[in-house]
Amino acid sequence: MALVRSSTPEVIEEPAGRPSRAVLFMQLSSPDADSRRSAAIELAGDSGAIAELLAQLADEEDYAVRQAIVSSLSTTGGPEVVQGVMGYLRSEDAGLRNDVIELLKEQPDAIAPYMPTLLADPDPDVRIFAVNILESLKHPKVVDWLIAVIETDPHINVCATAVDLLAEVGDSRARVPLARLEVRFADEPFITFAVAAALDKIAA
Amino acid sequence: MKRVLIIDDAATVRMYHRKILEDCGLEVDEAVNGLEALEKAVSTPYDLYIVDINMPKMDGYRFIAELRSRTELAQAPAIMVSTESESKDADRAYAAGANFYLIKPARPVELTTSVRLMLGEHA
Repeated sequence: MALVRSSTPEVIEEPAGRPSRAVLFMQLSSPDADSRRSAAIELAGDSGAIAELLAQLADEEDYAVRQAIVSSLSTTGGPEVVQGVMGYLRSEDAGLRNDVIELLKEQPDAIAPYMPTLLADPDPDVRIFAVNILESLKHPKVVDWLIAVIETDPHINVCATAVDLLAEVGDSRARVPLARLEVRFADEPFITFAVAAALDKIAA
Repeated sequence: MKRVLIIDDAATVRMYHRKILEDCGLEVDEAVNGLEALEKAVSTPYDLYIVDINMPKMDGYRFIAELRSRTELAQAPAIMVSTESESKDADRAYAAGANFYLIKPARPVELTTSVRLMLGEHA
């Protein structure tokens, strides 16, 4: 039997006890920053508001409003939010980038499938941010990903970020790869220092 | 003894910079983000701030801007240390109020020379 896709768009019920979505969406594009911020806060956890929050995030210049939008998207969570914010890892705005990193750290299931792609990104800054995201990711492959970074990534700061995290994780599987990394960057005092610190922590 | 605050969310970087600066006879304190650094600076100002860019809660640009907006802290020198190596990143750091820009990982001699310069000492 052929499956026929329904032409009716999915209707996401509005949460009770707050102004309607239509009102909040209008407020979200108000010229008044306090109104936009209030609307963003009210829309936290509403999966029917993800597209509007993401659209506003793209244009929003007020720091407090932006933080409210990211916080609300974080409360909602899920694959749609993760896909929508990942592009901001390339933002020129350090505050926004860092807010997005914090959001993605809180979405382990949704971000995990994208980690191999992020860790292979041509931009070393994006790879550094990907390692930052791994910091609080409770995923069985975290140590494998970190070891792969220090074994293969050509950029010293990507490797250094991974070493910092491997030191925290303290997994003994990292010992030999750490020693190899030190050889690979033998002229870099920071890597020598970081590897020694990580090996000490692993041994402790 | 001159007091330096290292602001970085990476523990290994803080340890590395601390070791180099303590070996130079400086008193070193640490903060893990701009917000913690600002609280510490307001409570007891430092002679120099060594600031990472990408940190949670408050990034390095915002921290330096906050520093410059406060009369009692505005004159303190700040060295921005970042993985971002394009010239526009340094331009942005100087526009935010940084006095010096170093690319990570800084070699000990680079760090000590710039720190001494910022503290008005001869290298």
